[in-house]
Amino acid sequence: MAIAESTITTEEDQLTGVRERPVPTTAAVRPAATPGEVVLDVHDLATYFYTYDGVVHALEGVSFRVRKGETVGLVGETGCGKSVTAFSITRLISDPPGRIVHGTIRYQGANLLWGLDREAKFKPIKNSKMVKVSRKFRRIRAANERMRAVRGRGISMIFQEPQQAMNPVFTIWDQLGEALYLHRGIELLDSLLAATPDDPEVGPALDAFVEAARPRNAEQARDAARRVAMAVQVPSFETELLQTLRQASVETDFDRPRLNSMLKRFRLTPLQRSWLRRERRRLELDRETCDIYLDEMRDGHLHRARKAAVRSQRLPNSLRRFPLRLWGINRHVQKPVKRELYWQSVRLLEGVRIANPAQVARGYPHELSGGMLQRVMIAMALSTDPPLLLADEPTTALDVTIQAQILDLMNDLKTRVGTAIMLITHDLAVIAEVADRVCVMYAGQIVENAPVRELFEAPLHPYTQGLIASIPRVDRPEKALFSIPGSVPNLIYPPAGCRFHPRCPQAMPVCREVRPPVTDEGNGHQVACHLYHGKTVEQ
Amino acid sequence: MSATGTNGIAEEALPGEGPPGNSATVTASTRRRPNPRLDQFKRTWYFFRRNTLAMVGLGILVFFVAAFVYGLVFQGPTTQLNLYCATDGAPSQSTCPAGNISVCTYPQGTTSPGANCYQTPVIDGIPYNNFIPPTMTTTTLGPLPFGALIQSGQVGTPYFYNLYAGLVKGTDWSLSISVAIVLTGAISGLLIGVIAGFYGGVVDEVLMRLTDIFLSVPQILLVIVVILAGQEIGITGFDNRILLMVGAFIATWWPTYARIVRGQVLVVREQKYVEAARASGASGGRIVRKHVMPNSVYPVFVQMSLDVGTVPLLIAAIVYIGFPIFPNVLWPEWGSIAAESTLTLPDILQECAILGSGSACPFPWWQLLFPGMALFLFAISVNFVADGLRDALDPRLRR
Amino acid sequence: MRLWIYIVRRLILLVPIIIGVMTITFALISAIPTQQRIESYYAPCRGHCYQPWEQYIPCPTNASATCTNPLWTKAIDQLGLNYPVPVQWAIYMENALTFHWGYTNNFSTVVSNYPVLRGEAVTTVLGWFLPYTLELAALSLIIIMVISLPLGNLSAVYRNRPVDQVSRIMSFSGYALPAFLLGTLLLYATIIVVGGPSQVSPICKGHFAALNDFWGSWPPVGCSNLYGTTNLGLDGYPTWLGGGFISSPTGFPTIDAALHGQWALAGDTLLRLVLPALVIAYGSIALLLRFVRNSMLEVMNLDFVRTARAKGLSEKVVTRRHAGRNSLNVTITVLGLTFAFFIGGFPIIESVFNLWGVGRLLAFSLEGSFDYGLIFGSTLLFTFLVVGANIIVDVLYAYLDPRVRLG
Repeated sequence: MAIAESTITTEEDQLTGVRERPVPTTAAVRPAATPGEVVLDVHDLATYFYTYDGVVHALEGVSFRVRKGETVGLVGETGCGKSVTAFSITRLISDPPGRIVHGTIRYQGANLLWGLDREAKFKPIKNSKMVKVSRKFRRIRAANERMRAVRGRGISMIFQEPQQAMNPVFTIWDQLGEALYLHRGIELLDSLLAATPDDPEVGPALDAFVEAARPRNAEQARDAARRVAMAVQVPSFETELLQTLRQASVETDFDRPRLNSMLKRFRLTPLQRSWLRRERRRLELDRETCDIYLDEMRDGHLHRARKAAVRSQRLPNSLRRFPLRLWGINRHVQKPVKRELYWQSVRLLEGVRIANPAQVARGYPHELSGGMLQRVMIAMALSTDPPLLLADEPTTALDVTIQAQILDLMNDLKTRVGTAIMLITHDLAVIAEVADRVCVMYAGQIVENAPVRELFEAPLHPYTQGLIASIPRVDRPEKALFSIPGSVPNLIYPPAGCRFHPRCPQAMPVCREVRPPVTDEGNGHQVACHLYHGKTVEQ
Repeated sequence: MSATGTNGIAEEALPGEGPPGNSATVTASTRRRPNPRLDQFKRTWYFFRRNTLAMVGLGILVFFVAAFVYGLVFQGPTTQLNLYCATDGAPSQSTCPAGNISVCTYPQGTTSPGANCYQTPVIDGIPYNNFIPPTMTTTTLGPLPFGALIQSGQVGTPYFYNLYAGLVKGTDWSLSISVAIVLTGAISGLLIGVIAGFYGGVVDEVLMRLTDIFLSVPQILLVIVVILAGQEIGITGFDNRILLMVGAFIATWWPTYARIVRGQVLVVREQKYVEAARASGASGGRIVRKHVMPNSVYPVFVQMSLDVGTVPLLIAAIVYIGFPIFPNVLWPEWGSIAAESTLTLPDILQECAILGSGSACPFPWWQLLFPGMALFLFAISVNFVADGLRDALDPRLRR
Repeated sequence: MRLWIYIVRRLILLVPIIIGVMTITFALISAIPTQQRIESYYAPCRGHCYQPWEQYIPCPTNASATCTNPLWTKAIDQLGLNYPVPVQWAIYMENALTFHWGYTNNFSTVVSNYPVLRGEAVTTVLGWFLPYTLELAALSLIIIMVISLPLGNLSAVYRNRPVDQVSRIMSFSGYALPAFLLGTLLLYATIIVVGGPSQVSPICKGHFAALNDFWGSWPPVGCSNLYGTTNLGLDGYPTWLGGGFISSPTGFPTIDAALHGQWALAGDTLLRLVLPALVIAYGSIALLLRFVRNSMLEVMNLDFVRTARAKGLSEKVVTRRHAGRNSLNVTITVLGLTFAFFIGGFPIIESVFNLWGVGRLLAFSLEGSFDYGLIFGSTLLFTFLVVGANIIVDVLYAYLDPRVRLG
């Protein structure tokens, strides 16, 4: 995984002290490692969809927090707005017809919804249920551009149907490599530029590897491969060695000439080297731009001067790239990078426990099953070590056994990497398995927010109680199945006051008029219901 | 979200589900059954209305339809319009008294040209031998006073032609032929496409090969060759020729529809409601009739509106090549009139080029331009309407 | 490996199409009366060839089959006109597939206008004229691709904004304008604007009217003394340009002129193709533009585009790389389908601009007395071109979309 890789590189710095360029600090991306720190703070989010049939109030006043290392589950029926919440956080809502109307989303202090009110104006049309929205597309496009600082690096997403979510015309390693190159490109290029295939240590290390390979001693082979990788200063070579070993048949000799030819990919021609340096510069500028965007969102105003400075440095680069394309040299200069990306993606696939990763990486999405594709998506999302992962119903399209494997994997990765996960699902069983904290949504509002044990043992909101009561119990076969009466309301004309009141068995007259405030009932348990009179949480 | 509109269905209505202002109870007497088809039509019309280009197209189309009706109602004397017996020539001179020439005429309903004797007009001291008598040219078509004449033809021998009447009658021709061809082609293509798509298997393969065959031959060529062969078989006479032309066009048109419909049917066939209908015991025919066909028909509408504009263009192309589809060179059809004007174009262009710009180039540009504009406006208005329809009907592009 | 299998399967599927098309032409050609059929397909060659026009069989049209001229009976025998229809069909198939498409009619209008075409095999004549059409087609295709792909993508990305409206108008006017109208007006306008003796082309500068710069496949005869060649043929054209329209060695005018070192002439030939290519392209761009736009819109709504955005890729990369690659597939398929329409426009354009292409030949053969050999030969040729284009398109599609190769 990526963390292991960068650790090796740093170690290697200390060992040989040879570097071409200083590593840029990526401290801006990675937050300080204090548990309990809030990674994502959503406050009063409202998203509407402006359609021919009227305005769909999909989200109304949604607020919650995700802390570092925590898994927050977002539960609710179909149509209650869970996916819309996730898309609103990364601003992937398709802008006509949807619109985030209102709210604050703080990620590491940066308000992702900065500038929202200036992006569109609303004017209700008389005698009709529609509202005319005049959008300022330039601002919306700029906002999208700013979100690039966060998408993939800070907040990653995985989606519901993995077969639809991957591009059918590109190979798996191509798509994985895209994400890798975009966010970890600088480190990758650095390691390529610093590779030392002709280091005196490489020879003996390779010999040791060949020795370990013959009797197929896995432990020894792995150690030997690691030593070789360290000698060459490229971590993915370890993967390459091990995978090639696995695929080599028992009869053929796995010998030095073959290994030497594998080393060839690290010997860069001067043209390749200069191109790599140019690319690295470009990626650095990219990263700087993203940092500027984050700062803009943090400070609340544009940093025009800094952006102009970056842009002025960028222009000559792009002009120089164009002739390369014309002369067809692209393939030649890009080969080492592509190889490196391939083996890195094989490594990622190993990390998500895919069998035969070298072959899978070369394949296309339609050749893989749903479970495997979902693993690939997880690999893609976690390849950049994001502090937050949004998982939009990742296991809904998969069958139960695969579901268990995927959840297991996510748990494992969470403990290894320390990512916070926001898991969106309608399956309470999944929540019980995986989540630390649960938010229950109904009709676009969060009705209850509690640690998972609390929620299941003592659900407070009538909706949650109804949900839990409707879980079929194997140990009480004689009981009739319970279901909450009524159906989900039409979000174009949502019920006034508490949106659940038409179906609530304990509805009171006040529920019909006033929206219940969120109150704290102790033990970290918050609920939005007039039945409870705890301390109102200051939103 | 249930699209119940403003009038909810009473059985499921709970308080708070209707529009604001609705009281908690819904009385049965205020319930109106929502008509989904009407609602869909209203919705489609709403999106169509918002598309300016589509509305412009619709306006122009309405104008053409008005011209069509006008042409039908005010039937000018046909001899005025079947004017120049190009290929047939005038009968011999000797039947007419001195000082008169015999003018070739081809009245409606006759199978061969005849002749009438008219006094030779002398204009600027030059006697003109090929002409239409003034009484004919000045008679206009109905109450509108446009009597625009054109002089055209080979340099030096003018004849008179009522361009306005030709254009109006041309509207009649073009519209009726287009609609006939497109409608028939669409219906046959729809049937074949549905059968191919729904039943699949060998039937599908065979029909698709057939479609591919017809799609491989360029349309103009197939029409020309069919008419040629028909001519040789013995389908002569004007009405038969027109029928043959229409038939040839239909034969080239249905494959497009068959393909489109088949594609749509393949998608519809996999939908759950078809499966449900089959499970509840509906026969194949019933499923096709009630479920598959109504849902596959939308792209056909769009394609039909596109094609209506294309037919006159194709006819114009065939006439331009020189293939005698119509018995007279100046047949009142837009393409025919326009094509006739270009008969001696190269020589005229040569003259114009030598004389330089600005001098009087004897090219009857109006005879080319106005029918051409009519073709253009017709086709473009229909295209606007078709595009507006497509944008309005396509659920994926909807805002 | 799988791509080859796919190609082979597509080729196999082509066989029934070709057979079907030829059956249709067979049915239509059977309607031609015997005399004219023999006139147009007198194939004495099957090992021993001689000039057909010298052996024209003077049997009267209203004679019955009891014409005693042995060549007449021989012709009937070779065409199989005495046999039942299935045998005739088989004979026709064999002839068509072995490219024995008959000879030009001795007495048709086209031949009387251009004696050099007299009595030639139809395939030879078509072969002379085909390169011109192919050059025009290539130039038009380039123009179409260069304009419609980027413009279509832009229209999709900036939906319903000014770019979209402009492209909409452009595409509609392109579709609605009859080709001959646009061509004629364009030609007329260009000539009026350029005006006077030719100043545009480096060849014939100052000696001929502007018409001769944009009209016709080659410069007019009187210009040949400016080619700089010493060997001039009888008609005033250089010897490698035989008969006014058959150039050697390749037959493609631009390539041949370049091969002979006549760069000015090559440029001149290209210049003559520009206006007609624009006219053709304008009509086809219409079809393609809307299609590119709609397919792009569809693709932009698919899930993987959302994934690409969620990865953090910039909008430009998402549009160009992810969405563009996927919409290209369907675009190419449509290009294949519109090829038939595209080809159908050639007779008109070539007539307007007096180019020596196959379409022009077809237009000739339809004037006056029909030349059946040429007509049916052109039909077969056009069909083969369309089928060929469809194969190329299918292969491209399979190359671009790996899912297709599976099933």
